Amino acid sequence: MRLILVDSPEEVRGNFYPLALSRPLWELRCGFTSLGEKLIARVGVGDVAYFVADYMADAYRAKARRPVNDSSVLDPCFGFPQGGVPRRGKLVPVKTGNDLLIVDPRVKADSFDVAAKGPSEVGLDEQGSVLYARVAKDDVAKLPRDEVGEFIAAAKAKLPNVRSAVPTWRYIWDLVLANAEQITADFAAAGRNGIEGTVEQPTAIRGNKKDIYIAPGVTVHPMVVIDAEDGPVYIDEDAEIHPFSRIEGPCYIGKKSVLLGAKCRKGNSIGPFCRIGGEVEESIMQGYSNKYHGGFIGHAYIGEWVNVGALTTNSDLKSDYSTVSVMLDGRRAIDTGSTKVGSLIGDHAKTSIGTLLNTGSYVGAMALIMATGKLLPKFIPSFAWFVEGIVTKGFGKGKLYETAKMAMSRRNCQWTEVEQSMWDAVFKMTAPVRNEAIKKGRRAMLTR
Amino acid sequence: MATIEERVKAVTARILKLDPDQIKTEHSFTVDLGAESVQSIELVAMFEEEFGIEMDEDAALSVETVGKAVEFIAKVCREQGVDVEPATGGPNDSP
Repeated sequence: MRLILVDSPEEVRGNFYPLALSRPLWELRCGFTSLGEKLIARVGVGDVAYFVADYMADAYRAKARRPVNDSSVLDPCFGFPQGGVPRRGKLVPVKTGNDLLIVDPRVKADSFDVAAKGPSEVGLDEQGSVLYARVAKDDVAKLPRDEVGEFIAAAKAKLPNVRSAVPTWRYIWDLVLANAEQITADFAAAGRNGIEGTVEQPTAIRGNKKDIYIAPGVTVHPMVVIDAEDGPVYIDEDAEIHPFSRIEGPCYIGKKSVLLGAKCRKGNSIGPFCRIGGEVEESIMQGYSNKYHGGFIGHAYIGEWVNVGALTTNSDLKSDYSTVSVMLDGRRAIDTGSTKVGSLIGDHAKTSIGTLLNTGSYVGAMALIMATGKLLPKFIPSFAWFVEGIVTKGFGKGKLYETAKMAMSRRNCQWTEVEQSMWDAVFKMTAPVRNEAIKKGRRAMLTR
Repeated sequence: MATIEERVKAVTARILKLDPDQIKTEHSFTVDLGAESVQSIELVAMFEEEFGIEMDEDAALSVETVGKAVEFIAKVCREQGVDVEPATGGPNDSP
């Protein structure tokens, strides 16, 4: 059986911007792992293929070790078991004969109880959108297989439909709000506890030691508090926890991440290679991002290669305790229904020292903020240079790319041509709303 | 109608808070007129507004002197079909 994850159309992916501008939805993180990893584990297969938006296909193919946008995976006679069979340094498809299970990545893995094996069945949500399609190999052969969208539409039209009540992720902040609970579930699923790394004394451990796992290669310096009283703490391989850090569970610290005297409040998922200082609460950091210094980040989702400048602080609770609204498209505010939502910060964004982010702020990918000490507007478009209180074109995207290259090279990662092509596409996609903001900024500049 | 040079000097004076008569074509925006990086961004934005043109950021920000800015803007205006008065009222510092 082959699992195929098919990314949502742009109008749905937009609910997960700015993070989803540069990655398929299943690469978003909640708890210990990505949504995709959870779905793959839940379905329990090694044969997995992906379909993503065309503009990111080449960039994603370079990262994913599985077929991307390759419609031959819809062919029932060929398969890529465990990614294929290596021959002369390449993965070569081999004959298997596969049933297919196509899944919408918004499906919550923990609630996805569709058996991998079974007769063909297409699960629809209330609006009639396909949440999954299990297609037996005999039926696969009867459907058009040139394009995945056509394949799914034909499956819906020709195969038995069922109403599915499986819950889905609707917005990017859903992941943030579910993170603490997901960490607890992931800790239980991982089934690990104990100390395999180095814990230098004196270190204080509160709560039940069974709720703590410190992986091999981890170094916990002296004068650290690990508090698992309200939830588990999982510190992954080669992480380093500096003195005066306090880690409250539920919490996941990713591989090779460093806490620098951080007040790591409950509900944080810190991806790999992050550097965390100051105070962070109920937030997700995708990975490779820095929040090195003081300042508070709460109920936020921070992408990759973000630098959060010293004393950058976000509000995650309005002073009247009303629900937080977020603008995902720069035009229309969406009521999150939650009283706690912080910032959504896209990949490669940079905030200057002293940046103050309002409750439910959106900072686009590649945005660069030079704060003036005032509270920022709630929507900063991607690739915007926010200077002197207004959105400008700044020094342009070329300069932002140079900075991104530099940031990545510092972690031995490479900025590639395919990645740049993807970002060029994102630049175009996000141009209308950015240009509107620039015009507004110009008007403000002229009246100064 | 003012020349491009006069208009460039007027915009520069407004953003950098200088007397327009003190600005010479050979002046460097950063070294002689004291433009900081943030003001360079404002200058490019205001030149675009003044002349109704769109400039490539990298090219625009590589322009160092007032005279070169006049030449650059004149070229962009020609390329983008924007009618302007002659670049200067007299000799400039172009090579």
